[in-house]
Amino acid sequence: MPAVAIVGLDCAFPGAPDPEAYWDLLMRGAEAVGPIPEQRWDPREVAGGSRGAMTQGGFLAAPDVFDNAFFAIAPREAAAMDPQQRLLLQCAWRALEDAGRAPRSLTGQGVGVFVGTMGSEWAQLHLPDHTRVNAQFGVGSTVAMAANRISHHLGLTGPSLVVDTACSSSLVAVHLAVNSLLSGECDLALAGGANLVLTPSLGVVYGHLGLASAQGRCLPFGAEADGIVRSDGVGLVALRRLDDALADQQPVYAVIRGTAVNQDGRSNGITAPNPWAQQAVLESAYRRAGVTPDQIRFVETHGTGTVLGDMLEVRALGLVHGIERELPCAIGSVKGNLGHAEGAAGIAGLIKTALSLRHRMVPATRFGHQENPQLRLADRGLSLLKAPLRLGGQEVLAGVSSFGIGGTNAHVVLASAPRPEPVRRPRRVDGPVGCGVFTLTADTPEALRRNLTAAAEAIGRRPRGEAAPLCWSSNRVKTGLAYRAAVVAGDTVELAEKLRAAAEDELLRAGVAVRPGRGPVTVFLFSGEGAACAGMTARLYAEHEVYRRLLGEADAALGPYLGVGVRDLLLAGDERAARGPLARPAQFAVGYALAGTLRELGVHPAGVLGHGVGEYAAAVHAGALDLDAAARLLAAHALPERGDFASVARTVTPAAPALPFASTLYGRLLVDEQLDAAYWSAQAFTAVHFHEAFAALNAALTPSHVVEIGARIDLLDQLAGADLAEGGRLLSASPEPGAGAAALADLVAELYLAGLDPAWEACYPAEHRTLERLLPYAFSAETRYWKRSWASSQPAPAAAPAAAGAPRTIAQSLVMAAQQVDPVTRLVIEAVREVGAYEADRVTPATRLYQDLGFDSVMLMQLKDVLEARMPQMADISVQQLLPALHSVATIAEFLNEWITVQVAAPSLPGRS
Amino acid sequence: MSQKPTYLAGVGTALPGKPVDNTELGRHFGVSDEWVDIFVGTRTRHFARDLETGEVRYRLADLCAEAGHWALESSGLSGADMDFLVVSSTTPDTLLPTTAAEVADTLQFNHLPVYQVQAGCSGAVQVLELGRSLIAAGHRHGLVIGGDVTSKHLDVRKNISRLPTDELVNYVLFGDGAGAAVLSAEPAGERVALRAVLNRFTGRGRPTGQVVDWYGAADRDTERPMLYEDYKAIEESLPQMSVEILWELLDGLGWSAADIDYLLPPQLSGRMTQRIVDHLGIEGVKEVSCVDRTGNTGNAMPFLQLAELMPQLQEKERALAIVVESSKWIKAGLALERV
Repeated sequence: MPAVAIVGLDCAFPGAPDPEAYWDLLMRGAEAVGPIPEQRWDPREVAGGSRGAMTQGGFLAAPDVFDNAFFAIAPREAAAMDPQQRLLLQCAWRALEDAGRAPRSLTGQGVGVFVGTMGSEWAQLHLPDHTRVNAQFGVGSTVAMAANRISHHLGLTGPSLVVDTACSSSLVAVHLAVNSLLSGECDLALAGGANLVLTPSLGVVYGHLGLASAQGRCLPFGAEADGIVRSDGVGLVALRRLDDALADQQPVYAVIRGTAVNQDGRSNGITAPNPWAQQAVLESAYRRAGVTPDQIRFVETHGTGTVLGDMLEVRALGLVHGIERELPCAIGSVKGNLGHAEGAAGIAGLIKTALSLRHRMVPATRFGHQENPQLRLADRGLSLLKAPLRLGGQEVLAGVSSFGIGGTNAHVVLASAPRPEPVRRPRRVDGPVGCGVFTLTADTPEALRRNLTAAAEAIGRRPRGEAAPLCWSSNRVKTGLAYRAAVVAGDTVELAEKLRAAAEDELLRAGVAVRPGRGPVTVFLFSGEGAACAGMTARLYAEHEVYRRLLGEADAALGPYLGVGVRDLLLAGDERAARGPLARPAQFAVGYALAGTLRELGVHPAGVLGHGVGEYAAAVHAGALDLDAAARLLAAHALPERGDFASVARTVTPAAPALPFASTLYGRLLVDEQLDAAYWSAQAFTAVHFHEAFAALNAALTPSHVVEIGARIDLLDQLAGADLAEGGRLLSASPEPGAGAAALADLVAELYLAGLDPAWEACYPAEHRTLERLLPYAFSAETRYWKRSWASSQPAPAAAPAAAGAPRTIAQSLVMAAQQVDPVTRLVIEAVREVGAYEADRVTPATRLYQDLGFDSVMLMQLKDVLEARMPQMADISVQQLLPALHSVATIAEFLNEWITVQVAAPSLPGRS
Repeated sequence: MSQKPTYLAGVGTALPGKPVDNTELGRHFGVSDEWVDIFVGTRTRHFARDLETGEVRYRLADLCAEAGHWALESSGLSGADMDFLVVSSTTPDTLLPTTAAEVADTLQFNHLPVYQVQAGCSGAVQVLELGRSLIAAGHRHGLVIGGDVTSKHLDVRKNISRLPTDELVNYVLFGDGAGAAVLSAEPAGERVALRAVLNRFTGRGRPTGQVVDWYGAADRDTERPMLYEDYKAIEESLPQMSVEILWELLDGLGWSAADIDYLLPPQLSGRMTQRIVDHLGIEGVKEVSCVDRTGNTGNAMPFLQLAELMPQLQEKERALAIVVESSKWIKAGLALERV
């Protein structure tokens, strides 16, 4: 079977809100089992009569926290959603980021979603009361939605399904995802599962089955083992075919070499394990992986800590692994740490194993030192891990088992990731580091600040090193949301400092952040020879691959005509590049290479202007002159003894500029005039009309960003009083002759904040374009949704988010204050808020129903009902009539105002009482 | 010797902040920059603490972790590949936890042997020798680091112009920094074989050449100087000791002086290094020194030279490093060859 790579993951388990914490918990050998939180149910209400009712379990600390606004889900809908769905949605986003993908960039792509859950206790709680159910609760309690929500909100169009094989659900989901990838059905898949313990019922059932631990803890393979405790969990892995992942040079946690699923068939009862079937599923997985049992270094077992289950599982393992082998097969079970996460148990084991292979260390099994001697592990070629096992540098193979109570068994064979071709980045003593633009985006200014702070903290913990690979990774992963931040940094210490400073920015603290609209309108101003100076751009040449190549191109074009290399003059700091006949070609070469570099970085000007000799580079950039022609003209001008400029000019065939071209010869935009022999002859010997030309360009294009293309600021100084568009900015590609890649990165960062989506790969040399894992998105923990309706049989209270207590941002308050809200608008706002149970500051006249609030057709119908109840005149409005107005609060209000006006004009419509 | 060679797979360095030149040094301590230029021959050095405020901007552990990180980067290996970590220093941040343990934590190493060596200038050679032994014992890869924050002993409020010379030199000779090497059982990364390591205590019965003292709460009122350097004895002994180190290494390997392409001489000061090289009297080798730019960085020094050497050393070329620790007269040296 071809291999599949685990390229990303995310999870939350009891005592471990994220993968790092999970690994830490495992390595500490900690136990996350504790008493039942008040939020779930009151154990006193069930303890009495119910045999074996659970008193302990593994519980997520904050299962109610959900950043619904991030996914544009209305509070009312969020409150009606099975928390398993909510947790999976955030988990999916983070797992995709961990896999080096910007989740929004996957919209419309056939990414598969395979989720295992053991039903939905939420549905058990909320669906039976048919007097209280509504559309939101119906959808929110549907098991399939656990996968479908992810596909819907992230726009993923591959297979999307929930699988339920009881306790083996999430490992079976992984098996299905792997098969889907291998069949070519999808190229990227999310697989895993979720489990939330919301009712005491299943605990009681386990009691009846003799599976519940009376002591309230799981002791896998322990002498004192007496059963399981139930626990929460959510986890997803992002999977790709290994070949694809390697071709993309993607970091890989571990490789899935083979998977198998089978059934107990007619065993001694539907809930009784069948060791022969377990043996068969192991053998089948090893066969598919093309490995023999003696190659398996360790197995993360199902290991529940029930006496019979443990015994039958080691018997099956022994039948496979009890062979001639160098070392016994190490076994362990995460259930000693977490309890039994049921539908999420398989993914807990798989993520543990993937992290073990990545860290080359297998955590000890908690309580492993109290091994049950009757299991005779040593005789079966097995050894329970009582201390962490360090794995060597060679390839290591491992297995993961998960068995369902109904007899559906799954086994997955994992291998350590193949070692990538090492990327060596040697550095001389005190040598320079590169630089990059670190980007971060978020759905609100507050979220931007939260994520900046988290990134600063995580990067600040690293040893000082190159920032560029982290920057490149952030460009790939951390883009795509509305609010943008960008900082330029050379090393990681500087990066952490700048991220911290950005987070502490006063405006951002006040809730104001950059949310670019359509993107910048830039114009390029090419400086003339007045800006030339010795040694200009030598540092940029040393630091920037693209600039180096393009300056080389210009040099090669000029060389044959000039008989001297302008590049060498520039790099040597030769004065001839600054004054005398060679200054103009040198200035041209710099302009050509700078503008070309910006183009490769994705900065495409809306128009160009060149001052003096700058017109040559402007003309080349606008496609009106080819490089060779420009070189010939410049050489003819520089070396008059070699020929008559006019005669050379006649050999040049100009093309019409592809961009608006502001001519400093005419002091206006070119209309039909050609950049022909006559033009260049006149241009060479006529006064420059810079201000007039710029005024014309500015009037025609109203640029948001005026970028000077030259080795230092020259033309921009002359634009001090220019009448720029509001917020218009004057920028330079090289603010001083000694500027380097960092100055160019500053420019790219500023344009990115203005809405440009740069061609990031041109920002970095190949050795810095390596993907590194960044901290995944930090969601808001401000909103919580929890309905405890089991304990009291009271009807569910109206859903409302728990008080977030988040102060209104200054910006929002300003917006609210500035808007004079008429009564109809106020009414619409109230209706919208009622439908979604939004907080006051979420709904303003400008709020858009679909984009900002995530309205769907069900909510629209509800909105119409609510409006009708408050405005009886509305009863006559059909859905069809209302539809075009359903863009924002303001457009609805406008429509209704108009409707009322018409009704006043014709008050008595026939047939109405 | 039929022992399989150990290989340097990567080398990394870390120098804190911007270089401090003699003019700036002179301004802070009231010492003549001309005197430093001429008699010491060191032009710049880096300090882990701010000369204006005395504030510590880099801990030794920060510098060591950074150097270790760069060494890993240059080797192409990852932290998870490392089977051991060894750090040497004269000036650990704290006695406990060891700087080695702090560095392991910063580099996210876990569950592996971590050693700290208390040493002076010979520390780099000591950790390379220890690393080589660990690899011979079966480990595959390891990280060895040497570093010092000698500025710990510079009193930034002091005008030193009136200090006796044996204390004064400490203010102008030293710099802060760290260096590291990734060692491997196979030729990986830089592919430089460690052909020989020399590490000899030769101080029996000899007066101490250098003292770096420390004290705890019980003797905080002591008047004794923290630093002492018998610079006359050092000047006298070093050239001869260096010659002996050179020839012990060459003879042990069966090499002649003509077989070596690069020489990494002791880095006491720009001037002293020059005297030693002249005394060695071997022709046609390229000297690799950086003390004039970095000051004497103690345990980091040979690593800084190795980092300078790496881009120059061609396949089949050989280099020899000579190190002397004058505290108790330790002779040390390395022989390297790129395969």
